[in-house]
Amino acid sequence: MRLATLLFLIATAASAADLRDVDNPAKVKDVFPAKAKIRIVNIWATWCVPCVAEIPELRAVAAAFGPTVALVGVSMDDMIPETSRQKVVAFLNTQKISYTNLYYRGNVDDLTNYFRFEGEIPVTVAYDRSGKEVWRHQGPIKSADTIAELRKLLGRMQ
Amino acid sequence: MKKLFLFVLLAGLAAASVADELAIGAAAPKFALVNAVDGKTVTFKPGDGKLSVVVFTCNQCPYAKAFEPRIIELARQYQAKGVAFYAIDPNDEAQYAVESLAEMKARATSHGYPFPYLKDGDSTVAHAYGARVTPHVYLIDGGGTLRYRGYVDDSAKPEERRTTGLSNALDDLLGGKAVSNQATRAFGCTIKWKS
Repeated sequence: MRLATLLFLIATAASAADLRDVDNPAKVKDVFPAKAKIRIVNIWATWCVPCVAEIPELRAVAAAFGPTVALVGVSMDDMIPETSRQKVVAFLNTQKISYTNLYYRGNVDDLTNYFRFEGEIPVTVAYDRSGKEVWRHQGPIKSADTIAELRKLLGRMQ
Repeated sequence: MKKLFLFVLLAGLAAASVADELAIGAAAPKFALVNAVDGKTVTFKPGDGKLSVVVFTCNQCPYAKAFEPRIIELARQYQAKGVAFYAIDPNDEAQYAVESLAEMKARATSHGYPFPYLKDGDSTVAHAYGARVTPHVYLIDGGGTLRYRGYVDDSAKPEERRTTGLSNALDDLLGGKAVSNQATRAFGCTIKWKS
């Protein structure tokens, strides 16, 4: 392999989006690192206008905390026939999203029932280490409000 | 004074939130809306003796568009059995030009909608039904009572369907039975409410 090709592949791999497949909603929480005190699930899709508008706010939240707060996105792109996993990867790379995302390939009923939401995305739910829900927001978040809320929650967990 | 403040606060919160979804067994709200296809007003009077399907859908939502062929298929299938279908676009065209009457007419015509495509420009009817997303469907019996609400199916991909919410409910009612699965969680794009 030529050196230029090798360097290109290394650079691409370094910046590639972290997108993993999941078909069971119960497996979503398994993705979080053990040390994360607050574990946030954001359910979204590239075809959802408010979800796309929310991305900078999520990036700001992800950047505001160290490993004590972990964010995972759950993409619902696969719910429509004409989308593709590659489209989501490209979107994550373009948006420079560094937090883990899951490409949900399961049933929509299973997901809305598991995360107890009424079918509107985006929705963002935070859990503590035990898996107990500690915060929820329906609709696009505002990063300043969310960061303040998470700091309060972390304060109570000290 | 504290009580007055609390009342004003609660009233404000209630006004700001989306209405609760219409309960199964409740009387369906009537409506009179303009059909984008011909500009004529279409009136739905619940209790007109017909089974009626009210579908909140729109032009811009990919998830709603994914269900479009299925809704057309069901309309053709069940209109032959006397069921009336109404498609309603509740999205604000001021925010999304693609939801204008002209764009609605273009879509309904090019896709051969076998039902009126009605504009609910200020989302009044969507609020009355408590619709939240597109697509969101409601099945009303001939007496004007809501018998099913929720999704069309649990998947837009025919090969992945597990639950066919709307057609199950229609088959139950047409067979003279109570609806076995009366309410499902409609999934889709949030209605673009007029701000």
